[in-house]
Amino acid sequence: MISKAFLLGIIEMVDKDGLEETTDWLQRIGIKLAEIEGPGFEGARENDVNYIPLCPFSNILLDFIQMYGERPSQFTELVNLSNRKMKEAEDGWKYPALTTVTGILYHSYTRKRAELAGVELLNVGAKCPRTHNNVYNEKALERAGMNKEEVDKYLERSYYVSKIQYPDKE
Amino acid sequence: MNLIEAERLYENSVKILKNNQHEKGGFYASPPGTRYPFIYPRDHSIDILGCIAADMMDEAKKGLEFVLNSQKPLGEFSQRYDVDGNDASYKDLQIDGNGLVLYSTGKYFEATGGMFFEKLADKKFVEKHWETISKAVDFILMNKNEEVDLVHTINSIHEYPAYEHGFEIYANCACCAGIQAAVKMGAALGKDVTTWEMEAEKIKEAILTRMYSPRRRSFIKCIRVKEKNSNPIGYDAFASSVIDVDVVEYAPAYFGIIEQQDIKNRYTVRRIHENLWDKEIGGLNRYPEMWGRNNGGYGPWCHFTCQLASHYTAIDDQDMAEMYLGWVVDMAHNYLLPEHISTIERFEMWLEDYTNAKILRDSKLTMIENVRKHPKWKDGMAYVTIPLIWPHAEYIRAYKDYIEKFG
Repeated sequence: MISKAFLLGIIEMVDKDGLEETTDWLQRIGIKLAEIEGPGFEGARENDVNYIPLCPFSNILLDFIQMYGERPSQFTELVNLSNRKMKEAEDGWKYPALTTVTGILYHSYTRKRAELAGVELLNVGAKCPRTHNNVYNEKALERAGMNKEEVDKYLERSYYVSKIQYPDKE
Repeated sequence: MNLIEAERLYENSVKILKNNQHEKGGFYASPPGTRYPFIYPRDHSIDILGCIAADMMDEAKKGLEFVLNSQKPLGEFSQRYDVDGNDASYKDLQIDGNGLVLYSTGKYFEATGGMFFEKLADKKFVEKHWETISKAVDFILMNKNEEVDLVHTINSIHEYPAYEHGFEIYANCACCAGIQAAVKMGAALGKDVTTWEMEAEKIKEAILTRMYSPRRRSFIKCIRVKEKNSNPIGYDAFASSVIDVDVVEYAPAYFGIIEQQDIKNRYTVRRIHENLWDKEIGGLNRYPEMWGRNNGGYGPWCHFTCQLASHYTAIDDQDMAEMYLGWVVDMAHNYLLPEHISTIERFEMWLEDYTNAKILRDSKLTMIENVRKHPKWKDGMAYVTIPLIWPHAEYIRAYKDYIEKFG
């Protein structure tokens, strides 16, 4: 019940305080969770590439969308806003290649945990658990020195691909 | 048992430990490039105990420094770390890691003192890490259920929640022994550890009563409970008992919570031997084949066989100690020990099961390839993950016990 309540809470939050506030709220939750967990990386690792074989929160999210009857428009708007910023912002590499609303929280969580470990995590691509479409972060790809074909290989067996960027390698 | 071969295996095991400690202190579970190139606090702690048994105190200390510095903010030691000490776990809570880190720290502390404990014990080291030790104990107690005084976990030694989610025997024994070790260290430093002492006693009492089945004459594997704070636990969604034999039902004696000679332990070991000694290839399996999670094929595990060898040594049963330890010596390939051993038939059966069920993960493909290309495959045997460092550490301990008593 608490997971459904949280997802409904996101919808309510968008209606009440708008997209920017809700995005900020989700990011702050992710950062606080990361501070509780400490430095680290989830999922699998191959050299400097970190990938997540199972989509975080996807079961809960897909169940919720089924229950709700459709993908809530508030979720779509949050994802679109984030991806627009990713493309337009000068430091667009900091944003997630977003496919789901929960990715906002998850991205700030993983990035913060990586930051605590002394590295930067660049989310170069992600796969939507609902449509199976791939989304890429072009600026992160460029910064990571990777191309879409390389990312696709990981996305065939995962949902979220990031490059671990060590400070001394930049 | 071929004592010359046993000695050679001991010598190589010492080398294996030395060669698989990363410069930052972590012991790889298996060498880089093989299946487990991470540091798992469970394996790592046993490796430290192996170092202590082999009098490699510098390596033990370095290993402890690594793991104690890797503690998570809430006091947890998670499933695994990368070589830099960053959490790299992909599984939920396995609280035995906390118990094991404390237990191995306590063993190091005892060993540094030896017969001149007051003067020589490495109090400086324990003092330096006291806050970490305290947080590790607090984290265990945070997961203790107040109704039954047992510690809750999701995973334990087999990383298999289906049989371990709840109050599990190995996790509880490791945590109880870990707190007992913290109590001893604290007392030596003049800290007030009376609360911890009482809590450890409560857990011990609960293990000996709630987790022992007088009718079966055995400790049991697990009291399944979904939520750690369920009260009353009888209404928890999972409420049930796992009463199948599991090799870790020997944990109360392994961690020194009860004596090896204790009748509860001896009956438990008898049940383990009768049910888990592999009648086809020897050695000790870890749980019944029908539990169905037999990665690489059902078969005996070297480190569990070593553990029971030490039990038989402790109770002066040389024949059984030799049978157990001798099997490990016989199974070593070029003085290297695998995680476990299976037969080609069982390996293929497992592969069929996992392929048909579509639960064969990518990470298993390397393991499958390595098993098939290992020289023992031509002898009809599947050697899975070789070398694994943990069995070498357990072998060092079991061999030293055996030689000291019977050598």
